[in-house]
Amino acid sequence: MFFVSAFIQREKGICPAMKIRTRSYMPFAMALVLASLLAGCAKDGGDSAPASDSAQAEASKPVTFTYFNAAVAGKDGNTNETVLGKLLEEQTGVNFKIEHLVGDLNTKLGVMVASGEYPDVVVPDSGIDKMLDAKAFIPLNDLIDRYAPNLKKLYAPYWDQMPSEDGNIYIIPFAASHGFVPDMYQPGAFYIQRGVLKEFGYPKVKTLDEYFDLIKRYKEKHPQINGGDTIGFETLTDDWRFFTLTNPAPNLNGLPNEGEVYVDKDTHLAYATGDKPFMKRWIRKLNEVNSQGLLDKESLVAKYDQYIAKLSTGRVLGFFDYGWQIIPAMQNLAQAGNDDRQFIGFPLVFDQGTKDQYLDPPTFATNRGIGITTSAKDPVRIIQYFDNMVKEENQKLLFWGEKGKTYEVGENGRFFRTEAQIKQAASPEFLQSYGFAYYSYYWPMGAGLYEDGNAYFPDRQPEVVEQSYTEGDKTILEAYGLKVFTDVYSPPETRKWYPVWSANKQQGSPEQVFEQKKTDLQRKAFPRLILASPDQFDAMWDEYVAAFNKLNVKSYENWANGVVQDRLDGKKR
Amino acid sequence: MARKTRWGKLLEQRTLLLMSVPFVLWLIVFRYVPLWGWLIAFQHYRPGKRLLQQEWVGFDHFKFLFQDESFYLVMRNTLAMSLINLTLGFATAIMLAIMLNELRSAFFKRTVQTISYLPHFISWVVASSMIVNALSTDTSGIVNGLLLKVGLIREPILWLAEGKYFWGILGISEVWKNLGWNTIIYLAAITTIDPAQYEAAEIDGANRWQRMLYVTLPGLKPVIVILLILNLGNLLESGFEPQYLLGNGLTADYSENLDLFVLKYGIAMGNFSFATAAGMFKTVISVVLLFGANHIARKLGQPRLF
Repeated sequence: MFFVSAFIQREKGICPAMKIRTRSYMPFAMALVLASLLAGCAKDGGDSAPASDSAQAEASKPVTFTYFNAAVAGKDGNTNETVLGKLLEEQTGVNFKIEHLVGDLNTKLGVMVASGEYPDVVVPDSGIDKMLDAKAFIPLNDLIDRYAPNLKKLYAPYWDQMPSEDGNIYIIPFAASHGFVPDMYQPGAFYIQRGVLKEFGYPKVKTLDEYFDLIKRYKEKHPQINGGDTIGFETLTDDWRFFTLTNPAPNLNGLPNEGEVYVDKDTHLAYATGDKPFMKRWIRKLNEVNSQGLLDKESLVAKYDQYIAKLSTGRVLGFFDYGWQIIPAMQNLAQAGNDDRQFIGFPLVFDQGTKDQYLDPPTFATNRGIGITTSAKDPVRIIQYFDNMVKEENQKLLFWGEKGKTYEVGENGRFFRTEAQIKQAASPEFLQSYGFAYYSYYWPMGAGLYEDGNAYFPDRQPEVVEQSYTEGDKTILEAYGLKVFTDVYSPPETRKWYPVWSANKQQGSPEQVFEQKKTDLQRKAFPRLILASPDQFDAMWDEYVAAFNKLNVKSYENWANGVVQDRLDGKKR
Repeated sequence: MARKTRWGKLLEQRTLLLMSVPFVLWLIVFRYVPLWGWLIAFQHYRPGKRLLQQEWVGFDHFKFLFQDESFYLVMRNTLAMSLINLTLGFATAIMLAIMLNELRSAFFKRTVQTISYLPHFISWVVASSMIVNALSTDTSGIVNGLLLKVGLIREPILWLAEGKYFWGILGISEVWKNLGWNTIIYLAAITTIDPAQYEAAEIDGANRWQRMLYVTLPGLKPVIVILLILNLGNLLESGFEPQYLLGNGLTADYSENLDLFVLKYGIAMGNFSFATAAGMFKTVISVVLLFGANHIARKLGQPRLF
């Protein structure tokens, strides 16, 4: 999902010539932090009974802190107005007043930075560099060492990745993963209509050629669906979503999607993908498919909403996309209720025998997280709250809720939800009032599996996911011998540097300009290449490669190599 | 003596002067004071630092702007689309205003006016979606459907995939959207023409056509010239939304204008300095054009701005 926010971010930053002057509150704020730290020490050191009593009393005195979330929109309010927040308040005496971002992220953070006054706790999302540049967060190393043993234990595998270059930890990243659990949404996949598969007796689809062969045969048999022309293959090329057209190329070659480069697993060297043989092979295949009349030409100029509208008609037999990008269309089709017109995705490759790498290797995103600001009145209480919430029993409480109310435990110790509980958990009002909405993410937390083997989140627990399947879902899963849809993928290989695309780039830097220029070039060239008559393809491809090599490819690869090396060395990029 | 009368005149109009003070202040505070922000065009500006602590880079951003290959393409597109919009906008609005003025039925006139300026209030996001659908090759495409029925084409044309159609599509869309709105000012100007002139022309035997040509049009001339001068100053503003929303990779060579270029390489990248440099460039050209047009108008003895 970071991919989304990174791109949306680029769309949102429309505020030219923002003139910001920072007033330096730093010395003052630092003094305040120091003072509170010292106070904390004094309390700890106090061995006389009355002193520790008063410290105890102070520690449980009700207090409200402010929390600003720049990552998602949501309902503002107090955590103690929710069931979960109330339970945590009973344990710690701490309440958070939650505020979400309204409007433009850069503007909002810019105003905060300019005034030097922050909420106590901030989730800056992609505005993290702005906050770090302004030194808005306090270092957490000592606080965690002293007051947060549980937090330290949970994040232990990732500890060396958390500090910034100066050695200080300013933000606590989310989701310290333990054990691998695939996502509920299918990540990238070549989707195909279930009706097509049913028609031909659920054949195994492994290669791109097999896939287009099925589509071709089905379209010949059924030239019309729902009163309109059958569309063989649909592309998505609108604006920043253009990567949907180019990303499949490395995937088809058995590589994961790292953005503009792929990284050799042995030499750890990065190479730009734009002019590689696998890119040519992919675009040429689309060209061939177009000449056979299987490609929807219009999809090369269509907008996203048209794309969704077309998918929703049920006339489209196949497309490549990511699960999160097609949610509205899938919902429409599910509502229409014709199972043959719904989709299943496969991780295709060019050649039989290539191992697919569509699933993201487990990563730990260190450039998103939660931080305590220089304006925080009592960082110790905040870190203690964090420490308390990451205890395993509290994590189960925050993600699964209360046993008997929002989930059940089977005889084998497996967690599951009844149909009523699943229905209840799908209601936004319930999520809000119970507190799931506030605690579902954007706090220090774990992910993956609990020590007892249950999934961290209900929507990743097979017992829960299976409950939500329709009869049609079950039929096709059975036909292919799958338990859940994400079973079609091969498990990901470890790549410690993965993915290069998530690395921060400086404003107006050469690598940023390269990416923009490259996208501009491909947006012009690829649709033309796809629509060209097949005998002209090679000449046009050479032209494109020449133009591509005129861009600053070498310096971009150098930058990518730097990212890979730094990440292998455990540095943050 | 002259001096005294000038002061006397000022004293006499002191109420008016007093009333204009807030607006002059507003102008200074919001239009002139921010100009010092232009300084960041010569810096490598990063938010969070004081303006004077920023790194100075001289004319680097201007160099990037003028040396980029696509800059000239972008300028060509900007000017072409502006001129198309200007000519089409003027011609159609004046024609419609005169035609409406000749109508007898007030009801019909009002209806036409209302219908023609309704599209002005539709956001470009919605409007472009309507246009894209109308031009679609799929079942919803009314344009292709019509042309196929009439027999002008054999198979549907992918209108938005051809660069050469783009300016035309944009020009027509702009006219459709803004025609009624642009007409309002001319209709207002026509009402200020002295009816006696029409009567005199009628007595002299002028027919309807001649009255339009020799009374209405010359009466509109001052308004037309002033609007032309003002619009010339905006020549580099060829719009942003329609190009952004209707354009795509295949038509980029024709659809990309200066605003889109600045959005992509300046603001979207957080490169505020570059965006400011491009803004400065636009302002300077606009001022030159404005003064140039005003000067020519003065030379030709036409009404002018100042």
